[in-house]
Amino acid sequence: MNYRSICDQKQRFHRLIGFAAALVVGCGFASNAMAEDAKTIAATVCMACHGEDGNSAIPMFPKIAGLQESYIVKQLRDFQTGRRKSDIMAPVVAALKQEDIVPLAVYYSAQKLKPGTDGDKKAAAFGKMVFFEGNEESGVPACVGCHLPGGVGYQIYPKIGGQHTTYVAQQLKNFASGERSNDVSRFMRVVAKRMSEEEIQSVAEYLVGLDSK
Amino acid sequence: MKKILALLMVVSMWPALVMAQTPAWNEIKGELKEALQAKGNPVRGEAAFQPCQGCHRKDASGRVSGAYPRLAGQHANVLMKQIADIRSGRRSNVKMEPFIDDHVLTAFDIADIAVYLEALPIPAANGKGPGTALTLGKQLYDKDCADCHGAKGEGNSAKFYPMVAAQHYRYLLREIQYIRDGDRRNANPDMILLIKNYKSADMEAVADYMSQFAAPAK
Repeated sequence: MNYRSICDQKQRFHRLIGFAAALVVGCGFASNAMAEDAKTIAATVCMACHGEDGNSAIPMFPKIAGLQESYIVKQLRDFQTGRRKSDIMAPVVAALKQEDIVPLAVYYSAQKLKPGTDGDKKAAAFGKMVFFEGNEESGVPACVGCHLPGGVGYQIYPKIGGQHTTYVAQQLKNFASGERSNDVSRFMRVVAKRMSEEEIQSVAEYLVGLDSK
Repeated sequence: MKKILALLMVVSMWPALVMAQTPAWNEIKGELKEALQAKGNPVRGEAAFQPCQGCHRKDASGRVSGAYPRLAGQHANVLMKQIADIRSGRRSNVKMEPFIDDHVLTAFDIADIAVYLEALPIPAANGKGPGTALTLGKQLYDKDCADCHGAKGEGNSAKFYPMVAAQHYRYLLREIQYIRDGDRRNANPDMILLIKNYKSADMEAVADYMSQFAAPAK
């Protein structure tokens, strides 16, 4: 692990937290009309971490462009209730009005998720096998079964194709440890717990390059 | 005298008491009963089967390696019983258990999934055995297995005997071994008796023979 880059990231995200918090507070004083415009909220509150069109430039913050509307709604609500834990998202969603949530989800769902080019090719080859076959010995189902080819997602199973490697790996680790526990039917917790570190990292390297339409 | 009589009565009734308490391998009760009585809906079953595709594949063909069985075309009754048995712990299956537990399925889902799978076409290519011990395999199969599993491996839905035709060789082999050794635990005790003295070569032969069966016509 490169400790220096983690420190840089920590500093950056602390700055971003401060920035986002200031914006959120600022928005609170603004008129109600602003709060009703999802695009405006996106541009003022969410953009700092998730990027202008939901394609975050920072690998630890997920791209949210093109995710299923119902998935975004569920995650936002889960952040609000604490069902999904996040020190970063908790204050942000606390400032959102209930009527903002669906319009925000609609807005981001309509954007296009742009794949990355920084996946490690060698690891990605192994990750592709994990994605399509799983691990028969340890009982890891093939990711394709739910997330479909290209990782395009289906109904409750989110689009994961094109997502940041760092973010995917972190979420799988969080599922494995139970730190993240808002997966339907506890499925992802079971799956992630059976995955090896190598499988987690490799499948993340594979996913980032997928262009999921 | 009365005491001795009473003691004699209990002692003579004991075997009957014990047998009455040991559930039959195919006892229909609880969740299995619910599922059997539910009118399974294959459209809902297809949706409920979605997460199972990760192991059993989209066409429910399982894995040629035998890691996961073909489910497509299997008798709905058999599928319901196996799912219910795994959920209740009556059948040991550590890999599968968390994917079909209460967090994932209800008894009604079980019925839906079972009727959906039963109606699926049986995929053409299953994992086949080496084909080197088919004479022995046929001999054993006709003697010990055909009465329950059918002359051509078609099984018996009403009696919960699985279709063994068109199933993956390595899956059949593994399950026969589990059943023989008491590790599967939910098998018909008659079957355990029948294969009690099977050696490795016998199990491989009979599994090989079964894996060569054509898929039964619908």
